Amino acid sequence: MSRLLSRAARRFYLRHPWQLALAIAGIALGVAVYVGVDLANDSARRAFELSTEIIRGQTTHRLLPVGGSLREEIYGELLRDGRVTRAAPIVEATVRIGGNTGPRRMLLGVDPIKEAGFRDYSGFVPGRGGDFTRLVTEPGTIMVPESLADELTLEVGSRIDLRIDGRLEPVEVVGAVRSVSASAQSEPPIVTDISTAQQLVDGAGALSRIDLSLSPEQAQSLGQDPPAGTILVAAAGETDALTEMTRAFRTNLTALGLLALVVGMFLIYSTMSFSIVQRRPVMGVLRAIGVDRRQLLGSVLSEAVMLGAVGSALGLVLGELLARGLVDMVLRTIGDLYFGNAVSAADPSNWIHVRGAALGLGATLFAALGPALDASRSAPDSALRRAALERTTRSRAKFAALLAAPLLVLAATLLLIAPRSLVTAFAALFFVLCAGALLTPSATLLLMKALERVAARGFGLPGLMAVRGVGASLSRTGVATAALAVAVATVIGVGVMISSFRLSLESWLDTTLTADIYLTLDQPRAGRPFGTDLPAALGALPEVGSVAPTRYFRVRTVYGELGVRAAEPGPEGWGVDMVGAGTVALDSADAILVTEPFSYRFDLGVGDAVSLPTASGDRAFTIAGVFRDYSTGNNALLLPLETYRRHWRDDSVTGIGVHLATGYETDEATRAIRATLGDSTGVQLRTTEAIEAITLAVFDRTFRITEVLRWLAGAIAFLGVLSAVLAIELERAREVAILRALGFSRDELAKQILTRTGLLGIAAGLCAVPLGVALAGLLVHVINRRSFGWSMDLSVTPAPVLLGVALAIAAAFLAGVWPAIRGSRMGLDGALRDE
Amino acid sequence: MHWTMRQPNGKQIELAGISKAYGEQVVLDGIDLAIADAEFLAVMGRSGSGKSTLLKIVGGLDTPDAGAVIHRGRSLNGMSERERTRFRRNSLGFVFQFFNLIPTLTVRENVCLPLDLNGMAADESKRRSSEVLAELEIDGCADRFPEELSGGEQQRAAIARALVHEPELVIADEPTGNLDLDTAGSVLEVLGMSCRQRGTTLIVATHSREIASAADRSLRILGARLEEAAP
Repeated sequence: MSRLLSRAARRFYLRHPWQLALAIAGIALGVAVYVGVDLANDSARRAFELSTEIIRGQTTHRLLPVGGSLREEIYGELLRDGRVTRAAPIVEATVRIGGNTGPRRMLLGVDPIKEAGFRDYSGFVPGRGGDFTRLVTEPGTIMVPESLADELTLEVGSRIDLRIDGRLEPVEVVGAVRSVSASAQSEPPIVTDISTAQQLVDGAGALSRIDLSLSPEQAQSLGQDPPAGTILVAAAGETDALTEMTRAFRTNLTALGLLALVVGMFLIYSTMSFSIVQRRPVMGVLRAIGVDRRQLLGSVLSEAVMLGAVGSALGLVLGELLARGLVDMVLRTIGDLYFGNAVSAADPSNWIHVRGAALGLGATLFAALGPALDASRSAPDSALRRAALERTTRSRAKFAALLAAPLLVLAATLLLIAPRSLVTAFAALFFVLCAGALLTPSATLLLMKALERVAARGFGLPGLMAVRGVGASLSRTGVATAALAVAVATVIGVGVMISSFRLSLESWLDTTLTADIYLTLDQPRAGRPFGTDLPAALGALPEVGSVAPTRYFRVRTVYGELGVRAAEPGPEGWGVDMVGAGTVALDSADAILVTEPFSYRFDLGVGDAVSLPTASGDRAFTIAGVFRDYSTGNNALLLPLETYRRHWRDDSVTGIGVHLATGYETDEATRAIRATLGDSTGVQLRTTEAIEAITLAVFDRTFRITEVLRWLAGAIAFLGVLSAVLAIELERAREVAILRALGFSRDELAKQILTRTGLLGIAAGLCAVPLGVALAGLLVHVINRRSFGWSMDLSVTPAPVLLGVALAIAAAFLAGVWPAIRGSRMGLDGALRDE
Repeated sequence: MHWTMRQPNGKQIELAGISKAYGEQVVLDGIDLAIADAEFLAVMGRSGSGKSTLLKIVGGLDTPDAGAVIHRGRSLNGMSERERTRFRRNSLGFVFQFFNLIPTLTVRENVCLPLDLNGMAADESKRRSSEVLAELEIDGCADRFPEELSGGEQQRAAIARALVHEPELVIADEPTGNLDLDTAGSVLEVLGMSCRQRGTTLIVATHSREIASAADRSLRILGARLEEAAP
């Protein structure tokens, strides 16, 4: 490429530093959002995997209880009959340090002697004076992770309170523990002796599980004939299950990051095409004096590479900073929804940076390719004439609008040919966005045409000039409006999706939470279920109208570990929101209901059979219906309590729904229930309102990261429109000077500029509404369905839509402020001088 | 000065049956014309009569609806886009009414651009540009940007850029249309003299009778046809 050509291009940007800065900022923000989300995602994924691996250690298999708790005696029986040689009993619980607001941490009760060879974290930290002997011999002693000891300045002998099952239990620190595995970056759990753990969780004689290190032969033998009421599972499956469970959540975040990058790409396209459009006369001269198409194309693409490289580098740095903010949100959300334990971020893969840089560069080149080809292909003569450019742009806008139809057909085809693929769903979403962007310039023209008469009547000639100004410079305004419309549509679409989801969740909670008060166990795995006489005792209280006992348990099946709820119908029925018009039909023997995500994921429906391991071996259950379920953690099945008791031979319950007697208030009933429970610990007592509040708080926290990404997309859009408006108004310097010379006051000029940019915002905002609703429809009915198996109702509430339109108008109007000030202060002589 | 004077050796450009219309409006209708080497041809006509269109067709910037432009026996119509670009790069120099200098390049860099495109070494390119700039008496403006120059200086710079690579043909579309009378006179003188010194063919589209009177031949476009202009 000619050195003078590259020098001319370089100087163009140096002469328009704000344009350069905005172009780089656009690329940088797009890359930053993508990289930030990816880094946070990867860091969280690795953190949870490492955390799981640390706890897993050398464990190959786990013996888990089926239904009730695992009796301690089973551990002794296993070793005695010689079927296993290496086994470690475990009591696992979730605790907080001190108050009720800190992060949840895992407490692992182990037998230190049996632990050798199972986990790497049993090493003492040099200089901390840890004493394993004290852990075994003295009750109420714990070892804390080294990072926690540092954070709380804990020393040997420090006393802290563990909040467990709502109680505060004082314990003494006898040492710090850390993982000695080089690969492990995540911190180990709080470790204590198994007897202390049982005491703390009030689960004397009960184990959470038994960790085993088995040969393949031992595993096969034990798997075929496990002790009664237990099931053998492969330990590696737990990490896989977590990865699988969180996959959809992470995929959605990555998709949102990519959406921000797509919005960024529109901005890059807008910036590049604008800078090229501005230089079309120059390019026409270059073509006239002998610069060939390839040279011109090379010159523009070189510019894009330079901008892309600088923007991407900056984006990587910003992405790192953003990731630090996002990773806590991701960790907290995954912890809340899936893991139930707080972990620290792990170092993410370095490939993310490479991927981010490549995406930034690629996106810039891709976005610049269109304008570059356009510039190089135009005839030298037409490049010199602005009128020709505007004529071409207007006819292209019509062509682009026609192109939208096949793109929408392509999107629909993609959705139909791969009805379960998330990739094609996102591809379809991308094509819909592109179709919207292609329709925007024509829609803007139509809108401006429609507004002409109104503007002329309301504001006279200046109003007419402002309206016509938008349409007359479509080569400049078209792309900017389209970029703004896409960005605002994203804001509207994600907003409508969140509000739809929230409304569906509220409706689901209303249907599901039929009782007034719920009693649940804090530590269902480690603790004991309620006594079998408790439901009757509660039912006898005058404040209580009726009780609905439930039994929650998890089972390993060919579909992975599933959460199963056995229940009895309350006065208002089963408390399930059936998919379709189906009614609950659980009368026939061994009939079950399945959740919608389970049904979708495994393509199982009414009439299909699901095999479950019962106390008397595997048994097939027939699906009688599918119900909505927005909970996480693979909750899959609902069956009558009677069916559970018959097959699992267990009368205990883990939850009780209490319906108030007429005339009694929740507070009165709560006091009476607490009195009945006496000193029973480990029981959570929550009102329906409290559960709803907690659920919606978790929901809001989950979508906080989505909100952040939504507003980042909005910020990118603002930068885009600011860049375009600044450039448009700078180009109009001569026109502004003429108007000043004709007698326009500074205020009138400023008003005209702001009207013009405001109109641009209105056009973008109005185009963004149908596009945003379409986007929300895709997110609600396709993306969420394919990600999580959830169906929900699309509720287009005014708030997110109006917010989006207001954002578009405000962004465009604000972007016009500086040009308005600049224009009104402009000197006449310079701007009126030719060339 | 080291300019090599081209000797007239017959027809350089020949137009055969050139027609061009914009929609319903026919601007050129069956134009036939032969332009000799080193000839100074003035094309006159009212605004919108088709002068600029004719010049653009001759320069390969636009294509006719019918007819052919033949340069040294080879039709421009038969050339590929790349060949037409080469033709403009090597054989043509353009002077526009609004100068059309590249605003982000200095005067010297603007003048060097055609040489740079032809792959000339930077030193040689600088030497050649200095000579042309001195000839056009704007060597003092060499390192200034176009916006820092007067209209006359800008047009001289544009002429320097059109001549520096010694094209066979210079096309000037109303080169003085944007200049005051005195400046227009001096610019025209410089343009005419420089082309004559080099034996470069010059085609000028103009409204000016003074320019027409200085030309070897004057033609007028009237009703989309070309005819001899009255002296």
